[in-house]
Amino acid sequence: MRTILAYSLRFILYLILIAPILLFITYAFSTRWFFPQTFPVEWTASTVQRAIQDSRTFSSITQGLMISMLVSIFSLLLGFPAARVLGLRKFRGRQLIWLLFFLPTVVPPLAIGMGLNILFLRIGLAGTVTGVVLAHIIPTLPYTIFTLSSAFARYDENYEFQALALGASPLQSFLKVTLRMLLPSLVVAALFAFLISWSQYLLTLLIGGGQVITLPILLFAAASGGNPATIATLSLLFIAPPVLVIVATARQLNQHGAGIREQY
Amino acid sequence: MTTVNIISLNKTYPNQSAPVLKDFSLSIRDGEMIALLGPSGMGKSTLLKLITGIERPDSGDIQFDGSSILTVDPNKRGAVLMFQKSYLFPFLNVEDNIGFGLKMQSAPLQTIRAEVKRMLKLIGLPGIESRKPGQLSGGEQQRVALARALVTNPKLLLLDEPLSSLDTEVRMNLQEAIRVIQRELGVTTIFVTHDLGEAMAMSDRMALLLNGEIVALDTPETLFHRPRSLAAARFMGVSTFLNADQLPVKNEAGSVSKKLFAIRPEHIRVQKEGCDQSMPGVVSDCVFRGEYVEYLVEVGDMNVRARMSMPAPMFGHGEHVYVKFPRENLFEIEN
Repeated sequence: MRTILAYSLRFILYLILIAPILLFITYAFSTRWFFPQTFPVEWTASTVQRAIQDSRTFSSITQGLMISMLVSIFSLLLGFPAARVLGLRKFRGRQLIWLLFFLPTVVPPLAIGMGLNILFLRIGLAGTVTGVVLAHIIPTLPYTIFTLSSAFARYDENYEFQALALGASPLQSFLKVTLRMLLPSLVVAALFAFLISWSQYLLTLLIGGGQVITLPILLFAAASGGNPATIATLSLLFIAPPVLVIVATARQLNQHGAGIREQY
Repeated sequence: MTTVNIISLNKTYPNQSAPVLKDFSLSIRDGEMIALLGPSGMGKSTLLKLITGIERPDSGDIQFDGSSILTVDPNKRGAVLMFQKSYLFPFLNVEDNIGFGLKMQSAPLQTIRAEVKRMLKLIGLPGIESRKPGQLSGGEQQRVALARALVTNPKLLLLDEPLSSLDTEVRMNLQEAIRVIQRELGVTTIFVTHDLGEAMAMSDRMALLLNGEIVALDTPETLFHRPRSLAAARFMGVSTFLNADQLPVKNEAGSVSKKLFAIRPEHIRVQKEGCDQSMPGVVSDCVFRGEYVEYLVEVGDMNVRARMSMPAPMFGHGEHVYVKFPRENLFEIEN
């Protein structure tokens, strides 16, 4: 009985996850699909072909990937030390710092975006990839800090002391012990940052000012244009990297997590 | 082979008023195993952190073979640590864990292999190279941790309550194992514990630590039989202290009244009949402990704790008995 319930729940969960994708695929490869037809009658790959061969699609994907990767890297670099202190140390004002780091998730992005836009216009960062990367770090940083600091809260510095006492240099200890111990959380934090940046529309639009075109920008433009096949194609491209990344890492992460859990 | 000199170390943590270590000095001979015994939070672990370089002392000096190590980086001091938890790296197998220190020294792969094999034999766990720490029992993990610490041929081995999370039987085995391995390799060792029996069983000398200071330092036998101060005596389980005028027998007449005498609980006799050197008392508790019986007897305004090995008489609560303090077992301590 319980297994039946578990399987049906699992089935429903998968269905919820997969159904929109199937729908997108159907839309992308069909044309003139109107009510009351249950399934499209005219199938074609030409819209998909056109959308993919469009140079704007390609450049928006590469630019988006580059921005998201840079954002991931910088979020990790900035978030790691902060998370370490927040996760391992107790100090006066810790709560206040937490709040400060989490402010970007509470403040409306429009407010941040408008303010930043004026600033970036003044210092010449508006409309540049650098500006967009910097702006994306604002919403991603809280998530990297949160993910990593909870990892640090479970972490034990004695592993590092052990490495030092055994003759490892501080750098070796950091690379071979600290990073290795935190690897699963680092991957998760990087994924968070990547996905948030990848799907960022508002900040890209405000700071990029039409100069920096990523896939969400293109998608929004297409959505207002109104061709369902194009929208579906772009949407599929849009969700491809997250899905691929999660599929590729889920198994490995899961195994690694189990390995770490054994230790505690 | 190393002699260690710790010279008037002081350490106070920020946000704490009381110092953790006060003018702490200790000399450890080459190849000696010294036990630091004391209740938790008395600066034992802090001392080890200062020696490894995890923390810095406020003042004082630590010397290995006569030269100060305070300016030496933690990874070059040659002082290895073993904690209550093994802290084996969970992502490495046993071989890589033990070989970690040698790898950091960029030792050739063959040397590492051979050394790991030798250490595994020494700790009595040959052939487990490819296992992961998670697949080992607590005792095995500690053995591997010991091997990992000793494989680099350290100057000083620091043991921070390495056995306190283990079952009694495993613990006994490991006590022996550590002692044997330590002797065989002749590595100078500081062993921190709060367990008196363990400290006595394992060390050449014992230092009793209280409030960041050493209150006594001597061989386990001497400290056990003849602790010289009140604090040391309490540490060693002595709870009966008698002023000279409380003694049932005045052995030396006259100027002894200021002196304080102590007696170990094992040496006090509790008996039904009164005799020479005995005092009357009332039993307030009598507990059968297997190998011995423990008595709590009110003698005048004193509570006397006595321990007699089997076979020993059992007494009921409120029973009138005589407590005998054999003269040869009474010893004088500084008040």
